[in-house]
Amino acid sequence: MPNKNTDAEAALQKLGHRLRLGWAKTHPVSDKSLESVKNTVREQWEQEQTVKRTSKPAPSPKKNRQPKPPEPEK
Amino acid sequence: MDDLIKLVRTYRVTAALAERLRLADAICRLIAPELGGFIFSTLKPHAAQEVLQDILISISDSLRKFEGRSNGEFGAWCKTIARRRVCDHLRKKASDRLQPMPHEEILDLVDASEQAEPMTAADRHDLEYALKLLDGSKPECRDYLWNHYVIGFDYGEIAEERNLNYDNVRMKIGRCLEEAKSLVA
Repeated sequence: MPNKNTDAEAALQKLGHRLRLGWAKTHPVSDKSLESVKNTVREQWEQEQTVKRTSKPAPSPKKNRQPKPPEPEK
Repeated sequence: MDDLIKLVRTYRVTAALAERLRLADAICRLIAPELGGFIFSTLKPHAAQEVLQDILISISDSLRKFEGRSNGEFGAWCKTIARRRVCDHLRKKASDRLQPMPHEEILDLVDASEQAEPMTAADRHDLEYALKLLDGSKPECRDYLWNHYVIGFDYGEIAEERNLNYDNVRMKIGRCLEEAKSLVA
């Protein structure tokens, strides 16, 4: 941003401020756009859930290890 | 805008889907007018709506990767995404470029802004002066002054877009401003 805020700079910046206010009034973000954003958020969340499910550590083989039945006597 | 960075930071650490949807909605409603200024002054209206939607999707898709801590950093990050999307669009369809924004449209937007914030006589005087500065400038200078002061791109962003170095852009904008002031005086 400019170092020295001259009248000319301030006037142009004020115009920018006014245009943003005007844009917000005349071009409000559409419901269609917001719905697309929500779909993106949903998809990202579902991907995260899938990753979480698949990255859960498999049960340790040690825990399920049962003592081997004795070998039948020959 | 003060709450924007709080919403973004909350979004980053939120796990519940319903809360993320609410936050993304609120963030987009706050950031869209900031980005609209650039998009609607660069692209024709039919393209601008479509590109704004793409930009909001890109932002929401990357929100969890944003690591900044201030509104300024977030605004700059969003503007970078917006600038890239607009450039992508113009590479595919150059005929959608709208420059400069028609004078009547600027005045319509200024009038519309009064619904949000009443204007004083001093404001009107300043805005008339700003329009004279732009109208009196050569096309290249008008473009620099518009992008830097009106839209709010910093020197670095303009330098990147035009493939120039930072100091070159800073000096060009300084010269353009001086020239415009001398023409209006």
